[in-house]
Amino acid sequence: MMEASEREVYRAAIHGDREAFEMIIRTQSRALFAIAYGILQNREEAEDAVQDALVKAWKSGWRVRDPEKFPAWLSMIARHRARDVFRKRRTVPLSEMREIPAAETPQTTTIDRHLDSALASLPELHRAAISLRYFEEMDYATIENRLGLTNGSVRGILGRALASMRKQLKPALASEQS
Amino acid sequence: MKIHDEIDNYLVADLHSDLSNEEQNALHVHLVECASCRRAHQENKIMNKVLEEKFANEKPDVAFEQRMLAGFRNRIPQKTGGVAKFIVDLMPLRATQVAAVAALLVALVQVGRMITGEGAIRRHEELGNSVDLYQRPAATQSLNGRAKAPSSPLPPERQLYNFADLTPQVGTASRGYSANDASEPAGSTASTSGEFDKKQTDTYRKDDITRLPVRAPASTDLVKRLPATESKTAEQTENEPMELAIAAAPSEATPSVPAALANRKLIRNATVDLEIVSFDDALQKITAFANEDRGYIATTSSEKQENGKLKGQIVVKVLPENLDRFLQKIRGLGELKNQTLGTEDITKAYFDTDARLKNARVMERRLIDMLKKKSDDINDLLQVEKELGRVREQIEQMQGELKFWDSQVQFATVTISLAEKDMEEPAKFLLKERAQLALYTPEVEKVYNDLKALASPKVQITNAQLDRDNTGRVSARVSMLIAPEESDGVISKAKAMGRVENFQVQTERVAQGGEGMSENAKTKRDKVALNISISRDEQEQAFQQTTLRIRTSAVDEKAKKLRDLAGKQGGRVRASSFSRDPDGREYANVTLRVPMKNYNALIQSLDSLGKVENVSVQRQDRSGGQIDEANAPADLSIQVYSQGNIVSSDTGLIATLRRTISQSAGAIMWSLRMIGVAIAFLAPWVIALVGIIWLARRIRSRRS
Repeated sequence: MMEASEREVYRAAIHGDREAFEMIIRTQSRALFAIAYGILQNREEAEDAVQDALVKAWKSGWRVRDPEKFPAWLSMIARHRARDVFRKRRTVPLSEMREIPAAETPQTTTIDRHLDSALASLPELHRAAISLRYFEEMDYATIENRLGLTNGSVRGILGRALASMRKQLKPALASEQS
Repeated sequence: MKIHDEIDNYLVADLHSDLSNEEQNALHVHLVECASCRRAHQENKIMNKVLEEKFANEKPDVAFEQRMLAGFRNRIPQKTGGVAKFIVDLMPLRATQVAAVAALLVALVQVGRMITGEGAIRRHEELGNSVDLYQRPAATQSLNGRAKAPSSPLPPERQLYNFADLTPQVGTASRGYSANDASEPAGSTASTSGEFDKKQTDTYRKDDITRLPVRAPASTDLVKRLPATESKTAEQTENEPMELAIAAAPSEATPSVPAALANRKLIRNATVDLEIVSFDDALQKITAFANEDRGYIATTSSEKQENGKLKGQIVVKVLPENLDRFLQKIRGLGELKNQTLGTEDITKAYFDTDARLKNARVMERRLIDMLKKKSDDINDLLQVEKELGRVREQIEQMQGELKFWDSQVQFATVTISLAEKDMEEPAKFLLKERAQLALYTPEVEKVYNDLKALASPKVQITNAQLDRDNTGRVSARVSMLIAPEESDGVISKAKAMGRVENFQVQTERVAQGGEGMSENAKTKRDKVALNISISRDEQEQAFQQTTLRIRTSAVDEKAKKLRDLAGKQGGRVRASSFSRDPDGREYANVTLRVPMKNYNALIQSLDSLGKVENVSVQRQDRSGGQIDEANAPADLSIQVYSQGNIVSSDTGLIATLRRTISQSAGAIMWSLRMIGVAIAFLAPWVIALVGIIWLARRIRSRRS
């Protein structure tokens, strides 16, 4: 499932090898960013969340023993961190937050704006799965591993997520189609 | 059908190429059949495209990883080296954790040992070793000293140099030894120093044989150094052969060892406490033992105790080398109570004095030389004379000191304290008697005088007093000492003088001149101390108190008869009273006191007076002391009474009328009171009942 060399890197990181951990930062931070972005829908915040999650993971490095579970554990920390950030800004509505980037990029189409709100209405896990898929083009098994899900559940999650978005975007899609 | 229900999942998986071949085929077949799913498929494709575009825009830039890394390094700076980091790095390792736990356990065990004192035992062992270490150099050095001292005319300073080295070491060695020994039971400490000496000599022997070849160069060094500091060549020549002897022939050292010991000035003395059967036998035996060991009896002293036992002290001088054997012999004489053995090392002081003596001699010689050189100055001569006198005085004093030490060293002193068995046995016993007598008599003063008249050389009145208080009560107290042979007679005489209330004798056997029991000691009767207290009869408390009533028709007559009866039985009337009440009842109260022996006869005779009722008897049993029960007083309080007249003495028509009217009026008043009570009791019930009935009626009328 996991490559032997990868496993060795995780094992070394668990035992506090800083170089191994930095290697993991290089290889994994994009996936973590995808998860955080899926939840927060904001790049700056997502970056900060990933940063915090990495620091936290390093500080509590030897809580996890099994290298197989290391990526999932890392993702969990990133998700928790992102969720904390999300909760903190909850007082400010999500739509308002995105007013600013919308204004900055005037060429954004109507469908993009609809897409954002449709994404925002999805459950957090669905968003994380979508962003992992579309950012990192991960196959379903890897996504399941990352998010600590059971085998085959991602297909259902993505299916439901896209169906729900499809329903919300129906008018926009129709205009696009035409 | 199945695909149609899960079309969303299939479509997504198709877009993301997550479908297996069969699934893909099945989906395409379905899409051909189902228009709605086809539409959804189209929409999904657009969705997918839009999403891909959107996320492509939002994708992190190329420097994202670098930023993450830099941020991480910034927030967690790399610790370069450092013990803390090393330990932190080690912590996750299983081996490190095991080692840490093991170290903690070992530390705990060590702490436990320190607390329980197990370590102390080990320290003793180490001390024992250190004693050995101390003794070895002492042995080699003393050999060195020994070789020189007897033969060489080395100045005393040189010798002292050796001894000064030697003695502190011996001192520490012995201290170390005794400290080590302290953990042994105290009983063995008595012989410690003796054993120590033996042990030490043993060590010398061993060391001389085994260590000498090794040590020899060192000691020769020392020998060489000595002449170097000394400027006299003669000694150097003398030393050389000896140096050779030591270096070349270690075997020669063995026989000369006792000399090393002999060179030291040791005063040995011992004290022994013995309990023996016979003092004289022990003294004879000790004398014999002393002779055997070429010793002598220095002093003896003995003292005879009151109980005929002897105790004393014998000081014996024996040769030091025979001391241990002598002590062993002595122990067989009797029970060893206590023994101490001491060794005092006066080597340093002795040779110090010796050296000073030699110096003084040189000084003396010089002064004499000066005197010989005739000087014209008288003053100089006088001064020299004076100085010479002072030096000679010093010489004499030091000579005396040395002689005294010599004598002390030559012979060991054994001080034997002897005591015959049962030293504490009493010489005699004194039987001390103390008697207490309490007398009751009507005539206190007479008895008091009679008692005083008993005084004679063998009966001494020590204290006599007569008290009379303002209520007229008289009491007296007489204390006397009676010679033992007279005591019984006097006591019985005193007893006859009144009624004996209490007589107590205390006898005490007092040991004299010792403690405990003795089979042979005589018992002597001491003077008897008699204390008598005399009181009037009336003051005495009755031994038994009885109250009873007698019903009779003729009270007055019976009361008189009662008094006669009491008089016949030796009783005395203490109080009497007579009364009559308006109903014609008569009461006579009589209080009597009779001796106990006549009590029963009196009670029986009372039956003749009338019907005896309500008898209650109280008896005071006095504990302790002897009571003359037959003569003890019994109090009776008797009430003689009559029934009273049935018909009142108040007679006549008017009286009868008056009584009848007053009684009927009383009856009417009583019935009125009863009616009032009845009304008060019934009224609440009646009111309640009426109320209930009224309510019931009202309810019924309303219903109808």
